[in-house]
Amino acid sequence: MSAIEVSGLQKTYRSAFRRTGHDALRGVDLTVPEGSAFGLIGPNGAGKTTFIKAILGIVHPTAGTVKVLGGSPEDPSIRARIGYLPERLHLPGAWTATAFLHTVAKLKGHRPDTAAHLRLLERVGLAHAAGRKIGGYSKGMRQRLGLAAALLGSPSLLVLDEPTDGIDPVGRVEVRTILQEEVRRGTTLFLNSHLLAETERVCDRVAILADGRVLREGRLEELARGGARWAVRFAPGADAGALAAAGFQAGSTEGLFHVEAADPAVLNAALDKARAAGALLVELRREGQDLEAVLTSTMGVAA
Amino acid sequence: MRPVLGIAGYVLREAASRKFILAFLIGITLVLFVLSLSLKLEVLDGALAATRLFGEEMYLGIRAVDVALRPLFMASAYVVFYGGILFGIVACSDFAPSLLSPGRIEHLLALPLQRWHILAGTFLGVMTLALCGSLYGSVGLWLIFGVKTGYWPIGPLVAALLACGSFAAVYAVMLTTATLVRSAALCAATGFLTFVAGIIAGYRSSIAPVFEEGLSRKLFLAVTAVIPRLSALATASADLAASQPLGVKSLELLLAGVVVFGLGVLAVGLWRFEGKDY
Repeated sequence: MSAIEVSGLQKTYRSAFRRTGHDALRGVDLTVPEGSAFGLIGPNGAGKTTFIKAILGIVHPTAGTVKVLGGSPEDPSIRARIGYLPERLHLPGAWTATAFLHTVAKLKGHRPDTAAHLRLLERVGLAHAAGRKIGGYSKGMRQRLGLAAALLGSPSLLVLDEPTDGIDPVGRVEVRTILQEEVRRGTTLFLNSHLLAETERVCDRVAILADGRVLREGRLEELARGGARWAVRFAPGADAGALAAAGFQAGSTEGLFHVEAADPAVLNAALDKARAAGALLVELRREGQDLEAVLTSTMGVAA
Repeated sequence: MRPVLGIAGYVLREAASRKFILAFLIGITLVLFVLSLSLKLEVLDGALAATRLFGEEMYLGIRAVDVALRPLFMASAYVVFYGGILFGIVACSDFAPSLLSPGRIEHLLALPLQRWHILAGTFLGVMTLALCGSLYGSVGLWLIFGVKTGYWPIGPLVAALLACGSFAAVYAVMLTTATLVRSAALCAATGFLTFVAGIIAGYRSSIAPVFEEGLSRKLFLAVTAVIPRLSALATASADLAASQPLGVKSLELLLAGVVVFGLGVLAVGLWRFEGKDY
C-alpha cells in the first residue's frame, strides 16, 4: 500500500490583480510506498514546499488528486496519523516546551501525558530545557521541539520540511538516529532537506523535483548507480600493461583500475584475463554517484 | 466541539502570556482594591446616609441606596461598554494574525482540525477573554457596593454581558479582516471603524436629517441599517445597570442585529479562510 499517492498534481498561485499565475507544480505524479524513507530534493523554487503543503491539505491543488494514508488529506482522521514539521515553525515564545506539547497533544486528540512528553523531549535532546520558555531557545532547539511535536502520538507518516535546519552536526546525527528508529518502527518518512548527504543517509527512495515536475524518482542505489563502470583493486605488483590489454584503465592510486562491463559475462571475462596475467583481485565494486552528482546531472539533462 | 475548545484554549494560553493583558487585570484589581478600602458607605434603613472617600466626607444628601448608586452604575456601564470594546480592539487585534502567521498556521492546518475549528476557536477564545475581563471588573464593583450597601441589583452584570455581546460583532469584523490580510494594525483599524460606525448607527435617525433629502440620506440610512447599533446598546446597558426602564424600543431587536451582523461577517471570513492557501 502507498502512504502517499499523487497524480497529475498542479498548483498555480494566482494573484488577485494579475491574470497569469505562477505555476509551482506542473503535473506531479508520485507514489511513496508505506514504510519507506522518501527524500524529496531539488533546487530552490522547485515546488518542494508547495508539494508538501498540497499533500497535507494546506494548499488547495489546482488540478490532480492526492491520497495520503489511503484517504484525503482534508480528512481529520487521516491527519491525526500524520506528524508534520514545517520549514519555519513559529513557536509561542512565552510558553514552555511541555506546555506546547500539551497543547499540540490536545489538538491532535490525544490525552496529554506529561511523563510521555518529557520522554519525548529527552529523545530529541531537550530534557534539560523542558521547563524553560521557548523564547529563549536557539534555532536548533526550536527545530528539536518541532520534531518532538511531529512525533507526538507515534504517527504513521512523518512529513519533515528541513528538519535539521539550524541544528549542529552532533545534533544532526541525533536527529538522523531518531528518524532511522522511526522508519524501523514502520513509520513512513517523507523528508525535504537541502542537505543531500543527510537525505542520502536516511532515505532509501528519492525524487528529484525541478520547476514543478518530478525529473527522476526511484530507489537511491538505482539513481546513484554509475552504469557499466566498475572499480577494481588488484594486489601490488600487477602487470599494468597486461591489465591495459585486458581493458583495465589505471586509476588514481596504486592497484586501482577501472573497467567498462555492460554485463556479468563481460566483467568476468575481463577479470579472467587479468588473473591469467597474474593479477590478484582484492576488491571489486560498481562505481556510483553520490546524491549531489545525481541531482547535478539530472538538472543538467533537464536544462 | 473539542477541537474548537482546544483552539480557544490555545488563544487563552497565548493571552495569558501577554504582558499588557496581565497589566490590565492587575490595573482593574488595584482599582477595585483601592475602592474597597477607601470608600465608606453608611446605610440606614435602605438609605445612603453618609459617604466617605479617602476619609473625606462627600455631601450627597440622604437618598435611597438604589437611587444614590444609579449614576455610579450608569457611568460604570458606559466605561465597561465603550472602554471595554476599545481595550478589546487594541488587546485582541494581534491574536488572529498571530495564529495565521507563517510557520504557525501550516502547523495548525496539518493537525486533525477542520479549518472552521480554527476560526471558531479563535473567536470563542477571544470572547471568553472579553467575558472574563468585563465580568471581573463588573462583579468586583458589584461585590464592593453590594457588601457596603446590602443592595444587590443584577443590572450591572447584565450590562457587562451586553458589552461582551456588542464586542462580538466588532471582533467578527476583526477576525474576518485577519483572514483577508494578516495584519494586526489593519484588524485594529477595521475594529475601530466598526466601533465608530456602530456609535453613528445608534444615532442614525438623529443624524439622517443632516444629509440632504434624496440619495445621500438614503445611502446613509442604507449603510447604517446593516451596522449594529452600538451606542443604542451602550445606552441600554447603562439603563440596565441603573435598573431603570430601557430607553431603547426593543433590546431584543438590537441584539438580533448584533447576532445577524456578527454571523454574516464571520461567514465571509470562514468562506475566505476555507479557500485560502497558506
